[in-house]
Amino acid sequence: MGETAAEAALVPKGTPVDTFQVGQVFEHHWGRTIAAAESSLFSSLTLAFNPLYFNVEYARAHGHPDLVVNPYLVFNTVFGLSVEDLSESGPGGGGAFLGVDGLRFLAPVYPGDTLYARSEVLAKRESESRPGSFVLTWRTEGVNQRGATVIAFERSNLRRRA
Amino acid sequence: MTGPWQRLTGRDNYFEDFPLGRRLRHARGKTVTEMDNVLITNLVMNTAQSHFNEDSQQATPSGRRIVFGGVTIALVVGLATQDTGENALAELGLDQLSLPTPVFHGDTLYAESEVLDARVAERGDAGIVRFRHRGRNQTGAVVMEGIRTVLVKRRPGG
Repeated sequence: MGETAAEAALVPKGTPVDTFQVGQVFEHHWGRTIAAAESSLFSSLTLAFNPLYFNVEYARAHGHPDLVVNPYLVFNTVFGLSVEDLSESGPGGGGAFLGVDGLRFLAPVYPGDTLYARSEVLAKRESESRPGSFVLTWRTEGVNQRGATVIAFERSNLRRRA
Repeated sequence: MTGPWQRLTGRDNYFEDFPLGRRLRHARGKTVTEMDNVLITNLVMNTAQSHFNEDSQQATPSGRRIVFGGVTIALVVGLATQDTGENALAELGLDQLSLPTPVFHGDTLYAESEVLDARVAERGDAGIVRFRHRGRNQTGAVVMEGIRTVLVKRRPGG
């Protein structure tokens, strides 16, 4: 090890904006098993007051085998798993998350289910208002441990050329 | 669903309570803290450090961490949930969602909703409602706008 951090080579993260190609597919890292406590915590923090998310007796009475994982936690987790490949860049270099369209919650997620994320590049165009920046649009899907798609959405971000 | 379960939720937020064009202003706001943003961002594996590394943000125009948009969406929908989703059977989707203004730690978010469409679902005991939700910060600037589709119970015995 050197005397200063600068002597060591930075291990870069993220996908350079120039390398994205329409039709390119990413199978994102890690996966994540959702615990009941995480969903209950998320629902409490976001004031998501539907008992399906935090009262297991109520959820069972509505035909579910367990608590229903808050769908916005499913969205956030599948989104989160996609960030390193799609929208993360160096210090201060991230691009604004512009929006979401066509999001569909396709199947309920229960505690103990494991979510995986994959994406396809749908569009890439140079920003008219910000030369040197690109608007990228991806279609991202979240899949459970049985291979069933539980969520799909299109996301757009601004990305600057590094 | 009848019986004891309906005592746990409100009586004024069933499918029949959402006529076309009804507009709602939700009573509670929430101040977004570092705890909300950093906890949720890290919990959901979002690796973009603009949401959790204050030092790396020094060189940016805002000079501070930005609240993850997924958190903003969950909070604005959350602020609207008791009034528009407490008696929901399922969340179905989100469309045309935009985030026109960034959110920072300490901002306070509020939510408004408007019924764009409501129709009885195939299953008969519920209806599909489309709401336009708008989230604003403490200055009134729109931080989120989008259309949410949700399956809501019909009023029991109604």
